[in-house]
Amino acid sequence: MSTTLKKTIPVAIVFVVAMLVMLDYFLVTPPVDVAGKSWTSGVVKDLQNWGIVLTAFALGFGAVNLFYFHSKHISRRTPGQWMFSIWLLIVIVIFTAIGVFTGPTSDQYNWLYNASYFALSATVYSSLGFYMTSGLYRALRIKNVESGIFLVVGLVVLARNAPALSVYFPVLGTWGSFITDVLTTSAQRGIMIGGALGAISLGIRTMTGRETGFLGKMTEEEKGGGGTA
Amino acid sequence: MSILITGRIFALGMLILIWIFILGNMETAKKQLPPFRKLTGLDALPEMVGRAAEMNRPVHFTTGLGDLTGSVAPQLVAGLAVLAHVSEICANYGVNIIYSVYQAQVMPIATELMKEAYVKAGKSEEFQAEDQVRYLSGEQFAYASAVQGIAERERPAANIMIGPFYAESMLFAETFNRIGSIQLAGTARGYQIPFFAVICDYLLIGEEIYAAGAYLSKDPQQAGTIRGQDYGKAVVLILIILGVLATAAGSSIIVDLLGM
Repeated sequence: MSTTLKKTIPVAIVFVVAMLVMLDYFLVTPPVDVAGKSWTSGVVKDLQNWGIVLTAFALGFGAVNLFYFHSKHISRRTPGQWMFSIWLLIVIVIFTAIGVFTGPTSDQYNWLYNASYFALSATVYSSLGFYMTSGLYRALRIKNVESGIFLVVGLVVLARNAPALSVYFPVLGTWGSFITDVLTTSAQRGIMIGGALGAISLGIRTMTGRETGFLGKMTEEEKGGGGTA
Repeated sequence: MSILITGRIFALGMLILIWIFILGNMETAKKQLPPFRKLTGLDALPEMVGRAAEMNRPVHFTTGLGDLTGSVAPQLVAGLAVLAHVSEICANYGVNIIYSVYQAQVMPIATELMKEAYVKAGKSEEFQAEDQVRYLSGEQFAYASAVQGIAERERPAANIMIGPFYAESMLFAETFNRIGSIQLAGTARGYQIPFFAVICDYLLIGEEIYAAGAYLSKDPQQAGTIRGQDYGKAVVLILIILGVLATAAGSSIIVDLLGM
């Protein structure tokens, strides 16, 4: 594939679209309509709609992938897998049929969704409590000075959140609040600021065609020269 | 009528300043590769894939609940850059890599870049898109359960998670830990970092995931952007200190400036 098709055109599209979105966010660009919106607002909205259409196409691609992958397991009778594959395909067909014939907002479809997926989803979410407990056990083992500090801080916050303990030892409330409101929040904000700057940097690299991870592996020649080092 | 939108003027100024820093550093980096702090997690990738080769088990990769249009899109793009690199190592070592997909729109991109990685390794015939790039579900806990299923049934020797993760982070990390996978996790979502830190063997915190592509590519210009980003961090730090001093002195000048 030529470099033009592989890199130049995709990067140009990314650059133009990103510039339009940024223009719309930061500037009022004439001509402005009666509602006071810039011409870029309409273009950005159209681009977002294109995104929705492309996502819908991609969903079809995903469904094909699911059918292909699981049909193969069923035909091969893969141990520990094929019966789940059958069940998955049956569920997809049932949901699709009811969605298509009654509509995705119909009572029938809603009932099916709430009675099956919603309940299962809540169950999986609830299981998080057990995973967190085992994670906490692993976290609160003293291996070195840092993990010792982690244990003390963890126990203070844990005790602060236990109603009986904070009634008998009100000082836990003050300590706990200091840890969560001052120490944790400041560290979180530091990570957040760094993350935001990192995202801007990645965005600029992507717009200028230096970050090509999303386009696949490229040679230095395809990237447009990588400097001297 | 002002062309600038009130409340976003300072943000625009900062963006332009950071852009100048980054472009300037990209130019200077052409002459000399800026030094990088070591990112142990990324350095360990060949070791992780090597372990999978020795154990004859696959490598599992996922980018979490990322999509290409939302605010977490940069995290997904950062994850895809690492996926391309890991796919190439896997192709070279002859290790099967499984990429679990949450958003169907990511599938074509992931398929293409994994295929490119196999081609680059000279093993294009070994790439099986339908088996290796697996669309699981667009629903959070259905996707989470499916990833746990892959972990239990196929027992990957290594698990790499880079991207935006939510409540499923703990489910994944614990499940893969239980089956004995060596794990690298990275996210810029602050609430999930502690979960990964507790369980995973290697961790990329916040901005480190965005630097991953530049770090792995060893491209001087990409490395220059990281240095430019650090200059931006210095500006933010100065603003924070000035803000603290000004507020302590009873002035709201910095707060007003940020709100412009």
